[in-house]
Amino acid sequence: MLGAYPSVVVRVVSAVLVPFLLLFGIYIIAHGHYGPGGGFAGGVFLAVGAILPRITLPSELAYRLFPTWLGPVVGGLGMLLFLLVAAAPLVVGGALLDYGAIQVAGLEASRVRYLGILAVEVAVGFAVFGAMLLIFDVITGADEAVRQLRPAANVEEDRR
Amino acid sequence: MIEALDVVLFLVLIAAAVLALVTKDLLTAVAMLTAYSLFVSLLFAGVSAVDVSLVEAALGAGITGLLLIAAILATTRRSEPRPDPRRRYVVLPLIGLFLALMLYAATGLPDRGDPDAPAQLGVSQIYLSQSLVDTETPNVVTSLLADYRSQDTLGETLVILTAALSTAMVLVRRRDQDDHAEAGDGHDSDHAGPAGSDTGGDDLTSTEGDEAR
Repeated sequence: MLGAYPSVVVRVVSAVLVPFLLLFGIYIIAHGHYGPGGGFAGGVFLAVGAILPRITLPSELAYRLFPTWLGPVVGGLGMLLFLLVAAAPLVVGGALLDYGAIQVAGLEASRVRYLGILAVEVAVGFAVFGAMLLIFDVITGADEAVRQLRPAANVEEDRR
Repeated sequence: MIEALDVVLFLVLIAAAVLALVTKDLLTAVAMLTAYSLFVSLLFAGVSAVDVSLVEAALGAGITGLLLIAAILATTRRSEPRPDPRRRYVVLPLIGLFLALMLYAATGLPDRGDPDAPAQLGVSQIYLSQSLVDTETPNVVTSLLADYRSQDTLGETLVILTAALSTAMVLVRRRDQDDHAEAGDGHDSDHAGPAGSDTGGDDLTSTEGDEAR
């Protein structure tokens, strides 16, 4: 399943498709205020953008584009961002997740809540992206695939 | 017109679900489940629940199928027959009873879009009318998920991440364990695969259900 797909058509099409998938994921996350979408769906699209190279392109390329550590690290960062945004109103005496309590000069409370929603959506998107990528990597045993790649890399370094 | 489409979609749904259960080839079953999710998302779009529809299409029809296929390729492609065929004489009546109970309960539900339904009379009116004033967000679903009810979203995100991390804890083979796995028992790793991937799939669908709600 992992590694380069035999057909050149599939390889080229998926390589062309990946940037647009990622862009569409960002659009879904950022456009949640005005249309269907938000962190969950957008994060899934980002994860698919990272998984597609793994099942169609050569492994060296796919794991250099989206390394396996990306899953847990980005997922954890997303969760951290969410918790920070959730705890920020507590500092100024508001309730948990009550972004409107934060007073920013020049911004109305509704605008602050708007921005808080955006931050939460981005955080959820990161967390979902990380979770999906991590699940895919451990199911396909990608850590072993990377380990198999590593000796080759060491040999190249030795040559230098 | 829409009603007729609904009926057709429901029939296709039931057919896809039955096929997914009956078939012995697990890849076919995954394809059927994916088709099921796709038609469910069409159904959601039909009742103007576009947000739920999008999430169902992305999670249910997209990445769940992908993860299940990955799990199948890592383990086995054929499902084994049930050890005891007499099970069905217990299970089928139970399913029928449950279905009858659900259908009976459904007769007490308010009509779809009924303005006097209990769900429409509580806080939801405030959410609907104040979303634009309070949060400058025209999409009420987003302001509900990320502002009014953001603690639920916090919990869901925690659940998703915990599910992924526990899947990793079950499935990742550490370097120091490799020798044991290779030397002794291929069987053990074979068994660990399906169990772990099952939990992964279950977690996915459950979080997806939470999001849909």
